[in-house]
Parts: sequence; C-alpha cells; structure tokens
Amino acid sequence: MYEFQYHRPNSLEDAAKLFDAAGDPQYLAGGQTLIPVMKQRLAMPSDLIDIGRIGDLHGITADKNALTIGAMTTHAQVASCDKVRESIPALASLANHIGDPAVRNRGTLGGSIANNDPAADYPAALVALGASVQTTSREIAAEAFFTGLFETALEEGEMIVKVTFPVTDCAGYEKFPNPASRYATVGVFVARTKERVRVAVTGAGLSVFRAGDIEAALETDFSPDALDGISISADGLNSDLHASAEYRANLIIVLARRAAAKANAA
Amino acid sequence: MEKYGIGQPVRRKEDVRFLTGKGVYIDDISRPNLVHAVILRSPHAHAKILKIDSSEAQTMPGVLAIVTGQDWEREDFAPIPTRSAVKTKISGAPLNQPPRHCLAIERARYVGEPVALIVAESSAQAQDAAESIEVDYEELEPVTDQVKALEPGAPQIWDDIEGNICLDFELGDKQATDKAFAAADHVVSLELRNNRVTAVPIETRGAIAEYDAASDSYLLHNATQNVHANRATFADVLKISPDKLHHVAPDVGGGFGAKNSGYPEPPLLLYAAKKLGRPVKWIADRNESFQGDTHGRDQASKVELALDSEGKFLALRTSTIGNLGAYCFTMGPFTPTAGSARTQGGPYDIPAMFYSAIAAFTNTMPLDPYRGAGRPEASFQIERVVELAARELGIDPVELRARNLMRADTLPRKTPMGLDVDTGDFPQLFERTLKMSDREGYAKRVQESRARGLRRGFAIAPYLECSGGMPKEFAGVTFASDGTITLSVGSQSTGMGHETSLPQILGARLGVDMDKIAYVQGDTDATPLGGGHGGSRGLEMGGSAVMTAANDIIAKARHIAAHMLNSTPDDISFANGAFTDVKTDQNIAMEDVIAASFEQGRLPSDMEPGCLDTGVTYERELITCPNGCHAAEVEVDPETGSINVERYWVVDDFGTIINPLLAEGQVMGGIAQGLGQALMENIVYDEESGQLVTGSLMDYALPRADSMPNMQLAFFEDAPTAKNPLGVKGAGEAGCCGAPPAIVNAVLDALKGDGVTHIEMPLTPEKVWRAIAGGKLSP
Repeated sequence: MYEFQYHRPNSLEDAAKLFDAAGDPQYLAGGQTLIPVMKQRLAMPSDLIDIGRIGDLHGITADKNALTIGAMTTHAQVASCDKVRESIPALASLANHIGDPAVRNRGTLGGSIANNDPAADYPAALVALGASVQTTSREIAAEAFFTGLFETALEEGEMIVKVTFPVTDCAGYEKFPNPASRYATVGVFVARTKERVRVAVTGAGLSVFRAGDIEAALETDFSPDALDGISISADGLNSDLHASAEYRANLIIVLARRAAAKANAA
Repeated sequence: MEKYGIGQPVRRKEDVRFLTGKGVYIDDISRPNLVHAVILRSPHAHAKILKIDSSEAQTMPGVLAIVTGQDWEREDFAPIPTRSAVKTKISGAPLNQPPRHCLAIERARYVGEPVALIVAESSAQAQDAAESIEVDYEELEPVTDQVKALEPGAPQIWDDIEGNICLDFELGDKQATDKAFAAADHVVSLELRNNRVTAVPIETRGAIAEYDAASDSYLLHNATQNVHANRATFADVLKISPDKLHHVAPDVGGGFGAKNSGYPEPPLLLYAAKKLGRPVKWIADRNESFQGDTHGRDQASKVELALDSEGKFLALRTSTIGNLGAYCFTMGPFTPTAGSARTQGGPYDIPAMFYSAIAAFTNTMPLDPYRGAGRPEASFQIERVVELAARELGIDPVELRARNLMRADTLPRKTPMGLDVDTGDFPQLFERTLKMSDREGYAKRVQESRARGLRRGFAIAPYLECSGGMPKEFAGVTFASDGTITLSVGSQSTGMGHETSLPQILGARLGVDMDKIAYVQGDTDATPLGGGHGGSRGLEMGGSAVMTAANDIIAKARHIAAHMLNSTPDDISFANGAFTDVKTDQNIAMEDVIAASFEQGRLPSDMEPGCLDTGVTYERELITCPNGCHAAEVEVDPETGSINVERYWVVDDFGTIINPLLAEGQVMGGIAQGLGQALMENIVYDEESGQLVTGSLMDYALPRADSMPNMQLAFFEDAPTAKNPLGVKGAGEAGCCGAPPAIVNAVLDALKGDGVTHIEMPLTPEKVWRAIAGGKLSP
C-alpha cells in the first residue's frame, strides 16, 4: 500500500467537500475490491473518504410497489432482511451467495455497482429488475448506469445514495461460479413483471447485458422448456483461463433455463 | 488401555494454541531494531540483465541496503547446491547442475526469480525503493513446457547445457519388459500429464535473520520444514561453518514439501543482517508465494500395459518427461526419476517393469517435492492405464483390478522396481473398500442421478506407496527434578500434530502422563541432527527415534529400580509404568524411579544424577510401504460439465495407528489436495510470454470445504511392519496417491456412455463439457 489520507465524514455534504479538496480521492464503501487493489499497489488514491458513517446511505424500505436499499447496505444485510426476502426473494438469495461471509459482512450494494466488475452479481439483478440508481445529483436507470468494463455513468465525485427495485411478479438468479474466485463465470437473472420478462447476463461480457432472444422466448412461454433450441452467439463474449466464449454461450442458456425454473418455483 | 496410550484418539495439544491465535509464526516475531527486506523479482521469463540502476533508490527515505546479482557475485558466495538423491545420468556422468545463485546474475530465467534485495527501515519504504530500481532487460524467447523444451530449436536456457536436459534415468529390466510386450495379447497405451500444482500453505514463507558480531554467528528464524538440512545449505552458500548458524523454525503454517527447499531468500537476509548489524525480516506475500514457492508434479508420461488374453498383467512400461524449472532445486531431479520409479505398478503383480525419464529445464519456477513427490504420479499412471485397459478389453474395472492384485501370501517380496513390500493384504483392503461403498445400492443411485439430469460414476483405486526423507532421526529426552520431561525430536510438524503424537508415544511407553512432557522441535541447538518433515517420515522416523529413546530410558531405569528393590536387573519386569521384582512381587513406579535418579544416594554406584537423560539416533534400513484403497462416486452435470464428488471411501494400511484422530486428519487433508489436483488446481504459464497466469487465488483454484465429499475412513491394522520398532508405515502422503485416480476414473466411468476415455487433469467444467459434447463442438 502507498500512503494516503483517511477521512470519515458524517454527511454527504462533508464527503463532497473532502472529495473536492483532495488531489486524487477515492470514496471507500466496504473496501472489498479497493483495499486488496491498494494492498497490491495497483491503486494509489491520495485520500480515502470512508462513507460508512453517512446515515443517508443506510437503510432498507419497502412498499407494495418498490424496494429501496441504501448504498452502504452490506450483502449480509440484504440477504437477511425480511423486507427483501418477502418482496424480491431472488435478490436476497443473490446477496447471500456473493463471495464469502467476510465479503458479505463488509461489501456493499453501492460499492459493488460503482465498481461494475464484469463478473459481479448485483449488476444482473439491477438490469433484470429494472432498478434505478439514485445518486447525489440524479436518478439513473440501471441499463444506462452500467456503461462498460468497470465503467459506470457516475461522474467525478458523484456518489450512489440508494437503489430502488420495482417489485416483480417473480424472479430467479443462477450463477456458475469461477472455481478460484467464486465470482460469476456467468450469472443470469430472470425477472417477470406484468407479463414483461427481462433477462440480464453478468460475467459473460465486458459488462452486464440483456439477452433479447431469451426474453422473447420467455415472454411467449415463461417456462424453462421455452428455451429449447435457442442458442447464443459466442461472438464478443469473454474468454479466459477458466471459460471460453463458446462455453460461456452455453452457460447462458443453461443458467437462464435454471433461473426461469427458480422464478417459476418462487 | 490407558487414556493416552498408543492407538488412542488423543486430541491435539497444540490446537488450543493455534485456535486461540496464540501460535507463534514468523510474522508474529519481532526484534529490537528490526529492519525489513523486499525482493525485486524478474517480470520476465527469460531475459538478459543488461544494467541495474539503483542510484535513485539508494537515496530514498529509510533505505539501508540494495544488493544486486553483481554485488552478490563480488562477495564470491557459493551457488545453492542440489541435494537430490539421484545425481547421475544413465551413462554414469553427473547430472547437469547449473549454478543457482541467490540472485540472478546477468540473466533471469523465470518470472519471479530474485534480481535484487532491498532493505529499509519499513517494508513500505523498501517497496517504494524496489519500484524505483531501473533494470534494463533484453528479453529472450522462453520455453515453459518440458516436452517443447526438448524439441530441436527450443530456446536454450543454459548456454552450456545442450538440449535443456538435466539428466536421463532408467530403472527396471528393459529386455524382459520389451519381451513381455512383444508376446502380449493386448497392449494398452495412454499418454497423460500429472499437472503442475503448488502447495499454497496458509502461512507464506518468511524469515528473520540476525548476526552477533561478538561471536561471529547467525540466528535465523525461518518458516521451513527442515532446519538441519537447510542450515547446511545456507552455510555452504555463505561459506561459513554450520555451527555458526543457529536455525530455528517456530510454528510453521503448512509445508507440504514447499518449505523443504533451500531457498535463496534466507542467505540474502543473513548477509544483510551481518552487513547492517541489525535483524532483517522478510515475509512473502501471496503473489510472491505463487511465483517463488517451489511447484510440484508436472510430468508428461506415456504409460503402456501388456496383458494376456485373461486380462493378467504381464508388463508395465512408463516413460516420463519431467519439468524441473530453470534450475535443479533442492531435490528437483529426484522426483521425476527415482521418486516416480519406485512405486510404479502400485499394488499389482506385474512381472516385468521398465521406467525411463528425462528431466528438462524450462523457464519456470523450479519444481521440488510436493506431498508424495513421485508416488502420486506413479499411482495415477498405473490406475489410469488399468481403467483404460478394462474399457478396451471389456472387463469390469473392479474385476480386472481384483484379478491382478499382489496376494498376501506372496509377501514379503521385492517388486521389479526394487521396492521391498514386506507386509499387507491388498485383496482384503480392496474387498473391504468395495463392501463399505454399498455396491448393491449403486444402480438405484445411478437412476436417481439420471432423474436429476446427472451422470453418476464409480471407481476404485488401490494404491501402494512408500515413505522417504532423511534415513536418520534423533530423539532426546531430559528429565528435570520438578517432574517435567522435555522431548526434543529432529523430525518436524508443520501442522500435523507431532506435539501430541510423539509425547503420546513416550508417555505410553514410559507410563508417565504425557501432559508432563514438553515437546521441542525445529531447532538446530535442540537436536544434533534432524531430518525435518517430508516423505511421511514423522512417525516412521521421529516416532521410532522416540520409541528407541524410551527403550533406552527403561533399560537404565531398570538398573535403578533393581537397586532400589535390592534386586538384580534380570529379575525386574516393566509394564504399565511400574517395575516389578518377579521374585518378590515388590514394585516401584517409573515416576519414583525418575525422582530417585536425581539423588546419588538412591542410585547404583556406577550411575550419576541425571543419568536418565537420553539421546538416540534411529536409522532406518528399509523404507516402509503405506498402502490402501480409495473409492469414489461422482455426479457429473452434462450441461455445465461440473463435478460433484458425492461419496468417498478409504481403507488404509498404515501399520500400527498411534492416534486415529491424527491419522484420519492426514488422510482427509491428502484427499483434499488430491481432489484439488484432479479437479481444479493448475499452475499455468503463458507459453508465448512465459508469464505466470495463475499468480493469485483469483485464478488458482483451491478446494474448499464445500468441494469435499463426506469421507468414510477405516484402518487396516493387521499387518504392521517390522521395519521399525513402532510398526508404522507412514500416513502423510497416502491421500494424494489415492484421490486423483479414484476421482478421475469415477468421472470417466460416469461418461462412458458418451464415449469419453480420457480427460487431462484438472477436470475443469469446460473440459468435461467439451468431452461430453465431443464432435458437436468446434475445437
């Protein structure tokens, strides 16, 4: 690690002031990616602004139409929250399978989506569920939020405050974990809301994307069998030590079928 | 049987310390005035070092010393010697041993090779300085694969070693083997690889070096498995007498072979400690651990089995190309040669065998023994070719194995590879394993799996391996007048539980409470010699030394007891911690004899106070042969290629079991590492650039608790060996011998309907999926 200044503001205003005053600042949420990267000296912020004590970023609220989760809510809190488990159980289940217990007790929803790791789980949930991201300056639809490999629509200094998920009829998430890191080699989130079906894929591309052919097939018939005979092109999919593009293309269909089965059972 | 007797499941004494964070590992140790070292490592697999400019780094805050290869060469230190037991080629000429200096001199030959040592007041300052050292490299073409390294035109790693060959090797009767093959009804042939893995001990390597000018001597605390052998190695490098180096291993968090070796960092630290007059500490991070810990396995082999028309094995022929990495490491040349040759053929009755090998240099981290060091490779080779033979001949693989196991009434015997197999009952172990594995219920389980869309497979894998490591071991016992007993042994636990099992042996034999026995290990001042850890020798060697010491103590105590009972030693029997005069029935407890041994007035005139203190060296004549039988049932998901090892059974013959809890722990740990090698662990170098692709735990997959099956374990104790006074055969590496073939063959059994006959380890989901999809996919 290189030397840096550590700050822990109590309000969004103070955080913004610290950010503006610093040379090369970074907000610190749960630190489950940033801290290891800093330890390997691959990142060297001049100032680390710990946003963990800012009250506005915490809390989970639910009504019959939507579920809203504060940016600093940990994966463990999402996984164990009754409101989440009742309104969107697939989201609670997803959070419960991120990383390991240490990661889940420190890692946060806001930190995960701000980082937009191509193999993270949350981006698939946000896109499939049609969530919107409330920041310190605006509201961004999930699909517009995730713009590329580790890229988001966030401007310099802009911070995620909370994420609102419309309540769905049913949803299911299935991932195939990387055997080493246990990130998603591929993860598929299937959600149905008022007869519309949205299917989002993580792990397979540079960033999360929607699978149109699968959505169309499931809108016609919301059952795993509806995906028989559908294939996904491997063109442009990720290829690495653990999985080729062709294998990932296969996993997308297999996991979509299993996610649809889970959604049907939900 | 008393509470702590031999054979009792005594819980580990050291666990309270470990589990409550009170273990003392290298990084828990500090010293006044301590400074910190980092190692600058080569980012290239193969490159000339044209120039190192450390002028800016020298001036940075806190920087105390920077040492480059040129500096090291000027000091005229010796290269690190190999201690391989195999030292010659087939021709009798010595093996090619290139000089392995502690720092690369003029040329770097693998990614991670040490290029410079930087010492500063803090580790962060040393890292800052390391980053500002400018090294001018001229990249050369690398070769990382041992088969390609032998091809004509391959990059030459050493200018004076033609063809990248370290040595060739052969064992067995070539003529008889070739003759048997020529006459055989069936010949089954298989090319396979034992994949490259690394130990990933939970504690990375690290050391603290100190120098005392007054006595001109060194103290080294080091996360090592072997203080004595490495003391000799480091003393050789620094050209000092070994008695000037006190080498201590505190608690060590896992070794598995990777902490056995003579590494370059400790001599560098010792040198810096003397130069600076301050203690110097270095702790590897996990990335350094992947780059700079020795790797294991990595053998490319062709295995051929000759059978008659009834499926009787006639001959086995194996040829291997072993990857050594860029240098001969401490034991590197041994593993793919004699290490893999000795147990060829496993527990089968094979009249003729021939093993040949070439060990090749490549631009990779050098290889050294990893849990098993050749025996897991041999076990995998025979079991895979037997499974394939069963498939090709249309014989049930269980039946084919049963037909060919060595029968108990043919023991003792010497195998064609020269291994002395003294005791055991392979067919009985095989039958017991089959019985445990509920073959009757198998068909139903296959149906249940199928209903869930899964393929189920079963395989059984008998194994025969052998112990190894240094053939001598020391045990010392000292008695204090307050009743405490200190046991010092030269074998070493890196987590296996010697602090429990060795006092258990001494306590049981002497009939004293083992809680009164303090245990000392890993210290060159505590024992005059020691073989450390390796080759499943902990009980075989350390335990036998303890038993020998206990017997010597009893012999001396018998004289004292006779004196105290006004009898003669010949009339004194010893049992259950008490000496009894067989004529008068008067008796006296060992503890009372020990108490008396401190008072001259209670001793015979020819004995002196402190006379019970004992130090013995036990020397083995013949290595032992642990053996057993594994069986696995797996489920394969054909849609994703993922594998679940669902059920697992083992019957092991480790001879006498001293502590079943500890023995079971060894088996389970060995199965975990065997499962890792079979299904997920793999060190990968990029063939073009020579870069280490699996350089962190993000890419190097290790088995976790949820990867492991429920394991049903049993021990066969009816055939203890007479090769040592305990009757033990060794337990530490057996799991690694049985698990890869059991698991891989079970997967291939599950896929037999798909026409799949072989998949290289590790059996990753994509490889399995591709094998099932077969011709339906593009390559």
